[in-house]
Amino acid sequence: MKPTNQIVGLLLVVQAVAAIYMWVVTLFATLSAGGFAIFLAIDLLSFALVAYVYTHEKWGEPLNRAWIVLGSAGLIILLLSSLYFS
Amino acid sequence: MNPFYWLGALTVVAFLIQGVSGMIMMLYYIPIPNAAFSSTQYIFQTVYFGRFLETVHLYTAYAMIMLAFMHMMRGYFVSVQKKPREMMWVVGMVMGFVTLGFGFTGYLLPWTVVSKSATDVGIGMISALPSVLSSAIMFLIVGAGGDATELLRFYDLHVVVLPAVLLVLLTLKMYMLEVHGIAQPPTGQPPDAGEARGLPIFPDVTFYLLGLAAMFGSAMLLISAVFPLSLPPEYTPQLAAQFTPQPDWYFLWIYQILKISVFEGAGLPVALSLVTLVFVVLLVLPFVDRGRTRKIRDRPAYVTLGLIFVAELIVLAYWGLESPGQIIGTEEAVLVLGGTAILVGVVSWAAYRFQAGRGEDHAFPRAKGALRTAVGFVSLLAGGATGIGWSLNSLVHLFVMGASFSNVFELILSCGLLMAVVPLTVLFLYSLESRYGSLKRRFRILDIESGNK
Repeated sequence: MKPTNQIVGLLLVVQAVAAIYMWVVTLFATLSAGGFAIFLAIDLLSFALVAYVYTHEKWGEPLNRAWIVLGSAGLIILLLSSLYFS
Repeated sequence: MNPFYWLGALTVVAFLIQGVSGMIMMLYYIPIPNAAFSSTQYIFQTVYFGRFLETVHLYTAYAMIMLAFMHMMRGYFVSVQKKPREMMWVVGMVMGFVTLGFGFTGYLLPWTVVSKSATDVGIGMISALPSVLSSAIMFLIVGAGGDATELLRFYDLHVVVLPAVLLVLLTLKMYMLEVHGIAQPPTGQPPDAGEARGLPIFPDVTFYLLGLAAMFGSAMLLISAVFPLSLPPEYTPQLAAQFTPQPDWYFLWIYQILKISVFEGAGLPVALSLVTLVFVVLLVLPFVDRGRTRKIRDRPAYVTLGLIFVAELIVLAYWGLESPGQIIGTEEAVLVLGGTAILVGVVSWAAYRFQAGRGEDHAFPRAKGALRTAVGFVSLLAGGATGIGWSLNSLVHLFVMGASFSNVFELILSCGLLMAVVPLTVLFLYSLESRYGSLKRRFRILDIESGNK
């Protein structure tokens, strides 16, 4: 499997888990506004990275490692913060 | 694709977020003076995620205004308003005014002492306009029924009239974009890769835009979660009498102009005319700047004017924030605003001249190099000036108030800043020397040594 497909696959898994977790917890009304914002931000950020990888891959342009590293670091920070908020 | 090409699209995304969050709040908000504050308080305290929703709505409104301004200034600097896109600029400017109208009308709705007092000051200024004009505007936005009509009119404007007008203008602008296409980059280089290849709107461009929108949305969500709003007290005439009204940040520059002593009392119409003139010049800019070139390097006068405009807005807004209710002396205003204009003008001129000798046949070969030089100059000038002022201030504090830990610490910090500026200046000059050749040659170009080019 190509590395870009692996990145996109991983991001889609992160996105799906964050979305399912967020809606399940919200259903039981135990999620704070901060937690809700973090899970939604995780979803949106993963989507932004997927879009970035997808478009650049399609246009044949090289991926900027800095954006991937920065986005992944952001996702990790948000996932760790979610432990506190949930 | 450059994200800065998408500032307009992100403004629309902010508008959509505003629409969704606003529609949810409409379910609970009651536009009656006796109930406006309590219904807002209900959203804050009782509605699930209500406070978060209010915060997202406000911060996205701020982002929308900032993005619209950045979109306009970027368009100005790269000269997108030139033929055949003159009317696109005019429509865009009207959309900008409507966006400010959203800010003005929405600010009143929570009916807090902060919002009502500031809005009353704004409405009061309308009376300084010619009577026919002021009567018409007052009838439109306030009516004749006091607070109740005022709030209802503002609410109607905010949730019905302005969104409808903005949507019509947006449709018009999209139609013009379809007819004229996107303005090519003014660098003289080939068009952006995406445009050159004629990428399809779906899925390529759509995905790219959605990715940017997702990043913007996540930033808004996180900022709203980290810095939640707190509701100021309810408006009452008694409380308002003890309160110094101050507008929101996007109107602070107008507020500060109106506080200059020469514009007090009988001078108010002059100040309002001046502010109106700024808006009119921006509106008719495509018909004023008729030059054919769009390259930044060939438009030093317009670029410098644009930089001065942005710098003055920032200075006025910050000054207004720091001096609520204080009348500003005319001499002080001339010094500060004139000094800002001269400083920015000199830096811009220096950046252009420094770039002049970089290429053999170019007046201004690289915008990035010029920007780097200008930023370096401004930072060093600002750092040096702050260091000198701060250290002098600390010295005076030390002599007047005696040697305390905080005074000595402040003096050490200020001297540290000053000492840091010196090696940084040397480093900056060294980097210019190594990058652009002999400094002697540079100074000759600046007319410092010989007085000739």
